[in-house]
Formats: sequence, C-alpha cells, structure tokens
Amino acid sequence: MNAIGPHIAGMAIAFGVLISIALTMYWMLHPPTTVAERAAKVVQRDLEELIGSIIVVFSEEIHSDHMMALAVRLAHRERAVLLAAYVMQVPLTLPIDAEMEIERRQALGTLANAEAIARAADVEISTEIIPARSVSQGVVDLAKRRAAHLIILGAYREGKYSGAPLGREIEQITAMAQCDVLIGVQGRKGRMLTPPTGPQARARA
Amino acid sequence: MAANVSVQNSASERPSLRRAVTPWGSFSWGYSDVGADIFVGLGLVLGAAAGASNVAFLFAGIVYVCIGLAYTELAATYPVAGGGQYFVFRGLGDIFGFIAGWSVLLDFTIDIVLFAWSCVDYLSKLLPVIAFTQHPWTHFFFVFGLIAGLAVLNIVGVRESSAFNELVSGLDIVSETTILFFGFFFAFHPETLVHTMQTAWPTSFQLMNGVSLAIISFVGLESISQAAQETQRPASVIPRTSISLILTILIFALAYSNLALGMQTATPIPHDAHGHVQPLWHYLGNEENNGAAVAVLASLVPYWGILAAFYVPVLGAILLLISSNSGVFGSSRIAYAMSGTQLLPSIFQRVHPRYRTPAISIAFFCGVAVLELIFAALPSLHPAFKALYARLFRGEDGITFLGDLYAFGAAASYSLVFLALIALRFKDPQSPRRFKMPLNIPLTYRGGRVEFPVTAVIGFLGIASILSFVMITHQLGRIAGPTWIVFGVLGYLLYRARKQLPVLRSQPHDWRKAQINILQQAGELDMMDEYLANVKALDERKAKERTVT
Repeated sequence: MNAIGPHIAGMAIAFGVLISIALTMYWMLHPPTTVAERAAKVVQRDLEELIGSIIVVFSEEIHSDHMMALAVRLAHRERAVLLAAYVMQVPLTLPIDAEMEIERRQALGTLANAEAIARAADVEISTEIIPARSVSQGVVDLAKRRAAHLIILGAYREGKYSGAPLGREIEQITAMAQCDVLIGVQGRKGRMLTPPTGPQARARA
Repeated sequence: MAANVSVQNSASERPSLRRAVTPWGSFSWGYSDVGADIFVGLGLVLGAAAGASNVAFLFAGIVYVCIGLAYTELAATYPVAGGGQYFVFRGLGDIFGFIAGWSVLLDFTIDIVLFAWSCVDYLSKLLPVIAFTQHPWTHFFFVFGLIAGLAVLNIVGVRESSAFNELVSGLDIVSETTILFFGFFFAFHPETLVHTMQTAWPTSFQLMNGVSLAIISFVGLESISQAAQETQRPASVIPRTSISLILTILIFALAYSNLALGMQTATPIPHDAHGHVQPLWHYLGNEENNGAAVAVLASLVPYWGILAAFYVPVLGAILLLISSNSGVFGSSRIAYAMSGTQLLPSIFQRVHPRYRTPAISIAFFCGVAVLELIFAALPSLHPAFKALYARLFRGEDGITFLGDLYAFGAAASYSLVFLALIALRFKDPQSPRRFKMPLNIPLTYRGGRVEFPVTAVIGFLGIASILSFVMITHQLGRIAGPTWIVFGVLGYLLYRARKQLPVLRSQPHDWRKAQINILQQAGELDMMDEYLANVKALDERKAKERTVT
C-alpha cells in the first residue's frame, strides 16, 4: 500500500473540476426565457398575489352566498387567506355600536353558511361582522385594513333596471375599491353560481 | 427516446414530432452518446500517445470545440432531425449530403459494435469469464448477442425511455465528477505528471496516432442536432445544451488524461507480462485494460475507488449500451431521412407492417455492424488471422480497428459540416442565427451582407489534419474508411442514374418553404417573422436591381 499524500495543486484542480461542472450544469438548466414565458411568469406571480387574500362580502343588499363555492375553490387552490365579512348598516340615528338583534342574527346565519361551505372543502376561513354607516365604505375600509387582493361580491338579478342593476352598494364598491373586485351574477339558466339556498338549489335537492 | 422518423423536405406533409425534449433531456440525449466515448477513448489514447495523451486530448479537444460551435450554430438555425447530414445536404448539395450521411452511417455502425464491445469489456471487470484477452470467443459471442438483441428490440419497437437516459446521464456525471475529485484531491502530483510526460513522450507518429484516436472521445454531438426537432424552443435551448456538453466532455477528457499521467496510486500496480514494473498510463493502455480504462482508473482512486470498483463497470456498461443502441436507431433514422430525399433507395424507408419500425434499415445496418465485429475480432479468434493482420496491418487489434474507422467517419463528416456552414453563411444569410460561431469577418456578397466564419476555417483545418493523421497512422483505417465511401458513392451514382435523377448535380429544392416549415414546426415564430422579413427585403432589393438594369 502506497502512502496517500494530497498535493495543493491536485486539491485546487479537484475543486476546479467540481465547480466548473456544477456551474456548467447550472448555466445549462437556466436557458434564457422567451417573451411569452416571461409574460406567463408575470401573470402567474400577479395571480398568486391577487388571490393571496380574499374577502367575500355579504350585506342586506349583497348576496354572495352563491359565490362562496367559487371563492373556496380559489382559496383552496392558491392557499389564500379567506375572510367572509357581513357588513351591517347602522342608521345614523343609532350609535355605531348599537345592538341590532335581528340584523345580527341574519349576519350570523349567513356567515355560518359561508363557514360550512369552506369547512366542507377543508379551507380555513375567518368571519367578521362589520357595523358601518355605509356598506360600501365599510367594505372598502375592511379591504384596506386586511390588505385584500380580491373582493368577491354576489348579486341576484333583481329584475327591473334602476340605473344600478347589480345594486347601488356594489356599484359604489367597484368605484371606490383599490383592489380587484369580482362580481358574480347568476345567469338565468346558469348552474355554476346557483345559490345554495336559492330556489334552483332547492329544486335540484 | 422518441421513435419517430421524419423526411426532411416534405415538412408540410409529415406528422410533426412532439416537442417534449427539455434542456436536460437534450443534454442527456447527447451525453448518453458522447459521454460514453471517454470510456472507450481513454485507454486507446493512453496506449497510443503515452506521456502525451493529455496533449492529444487537448488538440482533439480544441478541434472538438470548433465542431461543437459549428453544430450549435447549425442546429439552432435549422432545428430539424437529420443533424450533420441535413446541414451538408442543404449547404453543399445532394452528393455531398450523401457522402456526409454515408460517413455518419459508418460511424453509427461502428458505434453499435465499438460500444457493445466496450460494454462487454467493462462488464468483464466484474465477470472475468467474458474478458477479451482470456476468452476471445466468449467475448465475441457476448458482443454479437448484444448487437442482435439491440436489433431485435429496435425492430419490435422497444426503446429505452428518455427518463432512463436522463437518470443514467445524471448518475454518470455525478460519478465521474466524484472520481476526478477524489483522484485529484488525494493522489494527483504535478511532479509525477511532468516526469511521465518527459520520460514517456511519444514519437511524432505515435502522437498523431493518439490525436486521431482522441477525437473518438468527442464523437456524438450529432445526437443533439438530431433531437432538435423534438426539443422545446430549440433556438434557445440547443446552444446551451451543446455548449454545456462540449464543456463537460472536454473537462472530463482533459482531467482523466492528466490524472492518468500524474496520479500516484494507493494500491500498487500489477507488473506487466514480463514481470516489469509498469506505470499507470501503461497499465491503463495495455490490451487487457484499454477497453475499460475508466473503470480501472476509478478503482485505483483513493477511498472512493473501493466503491467505484463495483459500480463504475456497471454504470459504464449501461452508458455504453445506451450509446450502442443510439447507433442502431441513429443509423435507421439517418437512412430513413436520406431515403426520403432520394439519396438512398426507398427500401430504407420501408416500415414493418406490424411493428411500424424501419425494420429493413435496422437489420441492414446491424448486419454491417456484425461484419465489422467479425473483421475486428478475427485476429483474436484464430492465430492464422493474427499473423495475416500482423503482416498487412501492423498487427492492429480489434478495438483499435474500430477506433480507426470511428475516427475516419467522424473526421470525414465533420469536415463536410464545416464546409457546409461556410457555404450556408453565403447561400442563406436570410436565416436568423440565434447563435454564431465567434470570429466573423463581415463581407459584401452579391449585394448583401454576409459574415465569413474564421473559426469554421480553423475547425476545418483541425479536423482535416486529424483526418490526415488517421490516414497516415492507421493501416486498416486508411483502407477500410475510404473503401466504405467509394462503394457508397458508386451505389449512389447507380441509384440516381437508375431513377433518372441528377447524378452529380442536386435536385431542385424549395429551401424557403422548407425553412418556413422548419421554424413554424419548431415554434420559433419570432425567427420565422425575421426570416420572412429578410426574404422580403432580399426580393425587394433584387426587384430594384432588375428595374435599374
């Protein structure tokens, strides 16, 4: 058995071989991207950011229960933070923290439904009841406070054209919101946005 | 590997190949071919060039870099299946396209037998019963069995998967880097290297012989070009994978040769047949070990060698078998393409009715490989042939004969590829070139701007010198190589005359339409737009010139 004695030149060459092969492989596996690939990456990143935090809004005038399933799927796939918020309008004649039993009960019921949909899909959800003088202002303030990337709103076709077919509050939110707003309107024969408690869902059940 | 084959100039009619080859896939496609070469080349070069083996590898390596750059430019500009044969066909015309393709076919048939031979050599390090020196007949039948097995597997349409190729290539790169790291770190001594180079410096003849054999360590870049049509974004990916392949193989070849000359082994090297002490390079390059030199060297590396002695023969054998298989399907692919462009008879395009594979091509070229095997193995099988070969061919052994022919085929086709690259720079300056060989001289040619590639000229001179080294130093190679070309050309002339096609001139080709189809199918739409704009500008300029005259 001969004695093994490392030499400084040999050690340097050994590291040289190792580093040059590693660098060559790294360079090869990272080819320049095309314009289309770069654009796709930006869109993907924006999409991830877009749905990092989602707020589904409910109120007396905003009926988003049929949008919950969509919101849950979106949150599940992108691991987004999901918040279901019921904005309770408090009349100017009452203090902002006034007890409004009937409205509060309705809000709790709506949010319980939303929570059940999310739990069924194994998605974490938080709920909140927001008292506000104006629903639209309450929603916009909430979105700002929670740094929401997407506000999801639902509207039923109420029938007559009144200048604001989706409802005045929804119109105002879309005008004031800093983040993106997704409004879902159920088609006359649509099935995807069927409200879980609506007449079509009952008929199917 | 994808089994699809395609015909070059009927792009619009053929089904397009799926673009599924990723950057790693493209690299491993080439690596499984070129990466195996060092397993064969190291022992041969050490046996021939002795103390100047590293110089032989360096010279061949410089030429190889030029070849690699030429292939990179051409494959990125013309991302079609066909490789060197297609480039020459397009740049120099039909007859030169045939000669290039025919040389590549020689290389592929040698590829089949040379790598099957070396595969058995590597396995014999674990199974001495199949060792060439002790049991030539067993060795012969094992190699024959491998070739026959590969032929059958390819005819029935069973191929190794790309994933398997990628895995083996990855394992081999890690393995070789580790062997070299341990070898250099613990056992390399520059004084030993200098001493070996001084005491074992070869004669000029031996050095030329060594250089001509060293080029076989770099043959196989063809594979990346052949996969161009199936590679994702070929114009961007192929330059990267080709250059990475060139660098990786160059690093390995130079590192192995320097390590073999400058390593002090932990375990003593066995004495030679005469009982004399032998240096490491001599031990690796002798007839017993030259077919499996990397495995023997790896087993002598301190610490890692204990493990490497067991897995390197197996890994080497697998890589060599993949390379041998690439010779089987590569030859059928090229023959199919040449047949489609009427450079070979249509029989080579015939597909087996049941297995849907080019069975006749596969059987024919595997048959040629078996003939080469017989010719290479004869001296070891019978003393009468040994004496005859000793008288006629200076007693070259079988594996050296295969190496000669491999070097001849590669040098011949590469020489034509360099000429084709220069010709295409003049004939087709409109095609956008995302990668260009460095060192270009801008010129005005027929009213347009072209760039003359100086590196291609250097590469051509380099490969032409290697071709001349093959002719000077190899008794068998200088006869068998040109004989292959001469018989091929005679067959080509007869075939073209019988079919009433232009014999020495080329058939008319609509290269514009072909190029648009190529770029469209490659998904290189930016390049296609650029090409159309260039063509339009050329037409407008010509129209203007006609109006003036």
